[in-house]
Amino acid sequence: MTTSFKLNLPQGTLITGRWKGGRYLIQRLLGQGANGVVYLVKQVDSARLYALKMGFDTVDIQSEINVLKALQRQGKRLGSAKRDLTYLVEVDDYSLQGREIPFYVMRYIKGEPLRVFLSRRGSQWLDVAGLNLLRQLRSLHVSGWVFGDLKPENVLVGSYGEVELIDYGGVSGMGRSVKQFTEWYDRGFWNAGGRTAEASYDWFSFAVVCIHLLAEQPLKQAATQLPQMRSSSDLLNLIRTESALERYREWLRRAVEGEFQDTAEACLLWKELVLRPRPEVKKKAATPVWIISAFAVSVTLLIYSLYLALRF
Amino acid sequence: MRQIMLITDGCSNVGESPVMAAALARQEGITVNVVGIVDYGAIGELGSQEIYEIARAGGGMSQLTGTERLAQTMQMLTRKTVVQTVQQAVNKELRQILGRDTIEDLPPDKRSRVVEVIDEFSESTPLQVALLIDASASMKPKLAAVEEAIRDMMLSLGARKGQSQLAVFHFPGPRSEDAVLDVNWTTDLGSVKAIFQRLVMRGATPTGPAIKQVMEFFRYGTLNRNEKEAWPEESDEGEGMLGDYVV
Repeated sequence: MTTSFKLNLPQGTLITGRWKGGRYLIQRLLGQGANGVVYLVKQVDSARLYALKMGFDTVDIQSEINVLKALQRQGKRLGSAKRDLTYLVEVDDYSLQGREIPFYVMRYIKGEPLRVFLSRRGSQWLDVAGLNLLRQLRSLHVSGWVFGDLKPENVLVGSYGEVELIDYGGVSGMGRSVKQFTEWYDRGFWNAGGRTAEASYDWFSFAVVCIHLLAEQPLKQAATQLPQMRSSSDLLNLIRTESALERYREWLRRAVEGEFQDTAEACLLWKELVLRPRPEVKKKAATPVWIISAFAVSVTLLIYSLYLALRF
Repeated sequence: MRQIMLITDGCSNVGESPVMAAALARQEGITVNVVGIVDYGAIGELGSQEIYEIARAGGGMSQLTGTERLAQTMQMLTRKTVVQTVQQAVNKELRQILGRDTIEDLPPDKRSRVVEVIDEFSESTPLQVALLIDASASMKPKLAAVEEAIRDMMLSLGARKGQSQLAVFHFPGPRSEDAVLDVNWTTDLGSVKAIFQRLVMRGATPTGPAIKQVMEFFRYGTLNRNEKEAWPEESDEGEGMLGDYVV
């Protein structure tokens, strides 16, 4: 049955598939999700790097794999060339101490979590990452799926804001129930709607993600009040008043209220907003006079001391 | 599909064994899950052992948690038990058709199709969950969190494709009843202002008898069935508590 157990495989462990015999060497731990552990592995035969996810529960992991497979099939049918279709590489089981652990191998994506990316590159990069993220959601929604558990940790960002969603364990078909969610980003947590998987569920989550990233303190305050007092009007209030959110204000409001026709419209509005010129960030102030004079003094002193030193 | 979810913070101390009551429930096709709340002080070796055993005997799962993760834990257990129940039925079929033991023994591509069926059933089977809340004195500071978790759970169940109903009981009652009905089968808690009204906290924890009472409720839709009535008759309104049954 589904006793969850701790998987702690050291570097260099060889994973051999039970059915297909694929061999993978564990390099290091990449992360731990709600229903599995992800390792960076090297495929022994090709020396290529992949990510390998081991599940705690056969049915859970298989239903995640089913989603990935369906997405891949749909991707092929829609002929979207830009999307890498080799996301899912292999599905197999690994025997460890007499039990079969299901795993799947997927392409390894280099990137950093959204929060780390923004603190390194500056929060204005949300313009780009946000648009890419919405586009990812759009293609997911068009194929009839809802991401569900959208949170900063599940968004990996490449060096120029390319976005990859990770952890498909929370993906649900439209019209079903959202099976995995995280409280702050959950519509139900804010008493702002149900947990049925629909596009607007993801818009709402993404809006809260933005607020969380740009105005963390006020959001925290709103989130920690009495549960029966929480409502979407708390969020709308923040959106209206926080200056950090000003750029995305209209988008956030419509996302929280679920007012987009579809995700394509959500993308469009985001794009319009971020293509507007940013209000000039304060011009670099001219170098103050005292620094210039201090610099002149220090150069003079340097020359004089060199002169003294080299004189003899 | 029928489930009892027991929420408690310690050991039973009155009446028959809750483990046995859970085993009986399982025979009746009711799965028993248990959540142990461990907020203030430890739950004790004895308590956690009992929690584990009740769930085992009841064919369900158990988990210890703090109140801050209560809602999440309740939903996780419910979801997993639903999947597990469907899975067991599927495994049985597999044994008959393919001579294979379990889903784990199927090659990945076959497994994929079987799991699709499991997912579909898990999402669309009608589901009844009876929440049985330990209201002994030590639970008092946790009841607000419990109520919040129940509302949150209803929200998740309400999003399922299949009809999902929730009923809430607490035990013991003010006049030593084994269990008191707080909310009758419902699909929406929006109209229910306060789940727990007129609670009188008592020291005793008759977990075993309470489980049996809820089993009765599953069968007859009421808690105060007269022992002589052999067939379900919705004689008394199920609302409110009526616990004086013939001994």
